[in-house]
Amino acid sequence: MVFEKIQEIIAEQLGRDVSEIQMDTNVEKDLEADSLDLFQIISDIEDEFEVSIEDTDGIQTVGDVVKLVEDAKK
Amino acid sequence: MYTDICKLFHIQYPIFQGAMAWISDSSLVSAVSEAGGLGVLATGHLDGEQCRAEIRRIRENTDKPFAVNIMLLSPKTEELVQVVCEEHVPVVTTGAGNPGRFMPAFREAGVKVVPVIPSVALAKRMEKEGADAVIAEGCESGGHVGKTTTMALVPQVVDAVNIPVLAAGGIADGRGMAAARMLGASGVQIGTRFLVSRECTVHQNYKDRILKARDIDTVTTGQSTGHPVRVLKNALTREYERLEREGASAEQIEELGRGRLRMAVVDGNTDQGSVMSGQIAGMVTKEQTAGEIIEEIMKEYTELMSAPCV
Repeated sequence: MVFEKIQEIIAEQLGRDVSEIQMDTNVEKDLEADSLDLFQIISDIEDEFEVSIEDTDGIQTVGDVVKLVEDAKK
Repeated sequence: MYTDICKLFHIQYPIFQGAMAWISDSSLVSAVSEAGGLGVLATGHLDGEQCRAEIRRIRENTDKPFAVNIMLLSPKTEELVQVVCEEHVPVVTTGAGNPGRFMPAFREAGVKVVPVIPSVALAKRMEKEGADAVIAEGCESGGHVGKTTTMALVPQVVDAVNIPVLAAGGIADGRGMAAARMLGASGVQIGTRFLVSRECTVHQNYKDRILKARDIDTVTTGQSTGHPVRVLKNALTREYERLEREGASAEQIEELGRGRLRMAVVDGNTDQGSVMSGQIAGMVTKEQTAGEIIEEIMKEYTELMSAPCV
């Protein structure tokens, strides 16, 4: 499942428990990720799912990331 | 090889002059380019038409290549990109964000793109989006900084991408340039040393602060806002420290910084202004022309690289 894998990747990068990472969790505000963390997460996700995520500007929540991956897999 | 960068950008020496907002104007840029490096125009304080006027002044002073830096967080980014493309500027360096959405426009106008990046993930992303090279900038630099040092960042970026990598942060002489070469860099970007060059129009008080600075005199302010900035210690940085100690909001801290760079650069108020500087300032002790600086760095570098190993 896309969400569970993304949960794992974000938890690992930010040193968080997977339970802290839900669809409506704000990556910057709730998880205190900075822009470098975000690009690292995107890079790891691209490698994991073998997709290319072009537009990262609008990412706020974990759900936004899940949607980008699902769209990229289509 | 350092010669790859020279061929790619049609310059004599693999030395970029770092873009410094309010500071690297047409005067400094043309001097560096004329001397065989790549001058880089800062646009953080310019609108599109002011940028165009500066580009034209550079072209009146030199027929050598130069670059324009665009801070992607700037509200004027779109008009600056348009001007750079219309003027067919040879090279653009980008900072503070992802230039991806502007890549097609740059390509079409024949503009080479060199993003400044603070991490491996961003370097890989820039390569994928078609960047011609990247500048791996360590946190020894002045102004907005990342988290990783030049020594640690450069070899990791070199291993991760197949495009040329320039090293920036903490480099001001031939030794730094030779060290960067050993780390796998194809060139260097130098800011602080060019700031004190004779052609740099920054206020003399600002130059004097750099010339007198010691190794321990820079601090990073705004750590809590997620946008740390390296500057020389003064009354302003003490105020930042007080606010951060008291747990002030990011907005309050950002507000304190408003207009402070201009205050230092233009008005020469180096107590209350933001005196951005790299950690290498302690080694920068004399004013020279941009040409003398480049010549001296290349002489030191060449001697080091040809010295027998002992």
